[in-house]
Amino acid sequence: MGTELVRRGVRWRKHGLLTDAERVQQLHAEYLAAGADVIRTNTFQLNPRIYLNVFRNRQHMRHIGAPGLEDLTPKLLRTSVRVARQARADAGREKRAAIAGVLAPLEHCFRPDLAPKFEQACPEQLELARVFAEEKVDLLLGESMNTIAEACAVAEAARTVGLPLWISFVIGPEGELLSREPLARAVAEVEKLGAQAVLVNCAPPSDIERALAKLKAVTRLPFGGFAHIGRFSPPSWKFEFFPQFGDTDSWPPERYAGEAARWRKKGATILGGCCGTTPAHIAALAQALELKREGVQTA
Amino acid sequence: MSYQAIGDKLRAGETVILDGAIGTEILRRNVTWADHQLASQPEFVRGIHEDYIRAGADVISTNSFQLCRRALFSHFRDEAHRRQIGAADLDHRADKLLAASVRLAIDARQRAATGRPVAVAAAITTLEWCFRPDLAPSPEQARSEYREIFQVVKDAGADLVLLETLNSISEARAALEVAKSLGLACWTSFVCDERGRLFTGETMPEMVAALEPLGVDAILLNCAPPGDINAGMKELLPHAHVATGAYAHIGRFDPPEWMFTDEYPPTRYLQVATTWKRMGARILGGCCGTTPDHIAALSSLRA
Repeated sequence: MGTELVRRGVRWRKHGLLTDAERVQQLHAEYLAAGADVIRTNTFQLNPRIYLNVFRNRQHMRHIGAPGLEDLTPKLLRTSVRVARQARADAGREKRAAIAGVLAPLEHCFRPDLAPKFEQACPEQLELARVFAEEKVDLLLGESMNTIAEACAVAEAARTVGLPLWISFVIGPEGELLSREPLARAVAEVEKLGAQAVLVNCAPPSDIERALAKLKAVTRLPFGGFAHIGRFSPPSWKFEFFPQFGDTDSWPPERYAGEAARWRKKGATILGGCCGTTPAHIAALAQALELKREGVQTA
Repeated sequence: MSYQAIGDKLRAGETVILDGAIGTEILRRNVTWADHQLASQPEFVRGIHEDYIRAGADVISTNSFQLCRRALFSHFRDEAHRRQIGAADLDHRADKLLAASVRLAIDARQRAATGRPVAVAAAITTLEWCFRPDLAPSPEQARSEYREIFQVVKDAGADLVLLETLNSISEARAALEVAKSLGLACWTSFVCDERGRLFTGETMPEMVAALEPLGVDAILLNCAPPGDINAGMKELLPHAHVATGAYAHIGRFDPPEWMFTDEYPPTRYLQVATTWKRMGARILGGCCGTTPDHIAALSSLRA
């Protein structure tokens, strides 16, 4: 969602949900039309910390910050679900496409060193999960989870609010979690806490492929993956994760779909695209998987 | 052009006009700031510099806030991760953009400055987030990173370094030492709170005592609302022997962007700056939220 909105020229402020909600909705509509069975809310890394972190402290935020920053996150989360729901209704897919409320690491997804401890993460993830539950998403997706502790906090939150949960881990260059914790242990931990599917994401296709083989070896849950394509091009400022990927041309839709079809053959049943992918990639993916469509979900 | 003409003015007790905001002005003109726009829309950035020069700025500052390798690299776990998923040009991108930011300001001066000396200040802030002194690197680490940054802007032709929105004495000292070892003129500007203290809680007299012996050319306060800057100037002015200055922000920080308000139109901002001048400040400009119209209003203070 994020990289595609930025690629389309949407200014990345408040996840586009205040100023460009109709364009976010339009993108959901395009993913549905491309054949996605599950659409994800545009809420990656959307939590109160991303605003608080750029001030000296809460008092400073109140002093020089725009009014309403403290209460902004739940408002944006609600909008994110509503635009997804509207896109689904417009497509006439209420019964046949699911909306996943996306939870993510509270700190930068690529900085496991900054991740909060389990006890800290639990109440904050729960606060987000509660909003998604009130807005009646169909499931929660913990995406790009970079430590076991925070993945467990997301799992606890899902259990508390009573929503089905998929957990997806960001994979580092070593083929384990970005934190270097073993993928096998991460899967075992979230499985114990009731995750209904495990995935890997936000790494290049070859890394995803290797990680999928690991998932297959360690779990009986449905598993899957969604790779990013191109190269992460961070902004020339600090702030939080900014979804900008360049050089994505080397991964046209057909090439990506070809990779994903191989993943399907190896047993992955949840397949989609991460940063850099577009509705055309999901359309190609859906088409490539068409013959073995039963039981395969595209996100 | 060198810093000479500006330094002479300050020594003679004259008022020097600094430019206004660049980052927020880019936003106000409906362009995203995420990439500083130095590579994609250089003429647009240059146009803003030109507007500030025409409005009366004696010193224009480069569009390089937070532009450094650390800012780019901090989006990755480590080098292995950056090589695995990062854009190919990241090793050199910050240096290239920094040099481009200086060259653009110099270009703007060539086009817009007529008969008046205008200095180009390389605007450099803290290595970590400007409002978070708790994140600052060690002084040794800071020195090594500032050395690289300052060498780039010096080679590109900057007349001085404007260290802005500083939050601690230790990082300011590290940066100032490096600037002086490279022979650069250097202004240090701090963000202050409503008590007139640095964000570490350090006081203005402590800061002045640490920086003046190292040869700082001017001490300023910036990136706080006018009321906080007033409080800071009251603390700073009785202790400073070098030239002092101020540039406040107006409006509200609405991360990652800026919220513009009409609380301080140019005439009202001029009144505030007039107070700072009466208190003894000699360098006056605008921080986030200010526009060329604000600087045009300030330019009447030069007389």
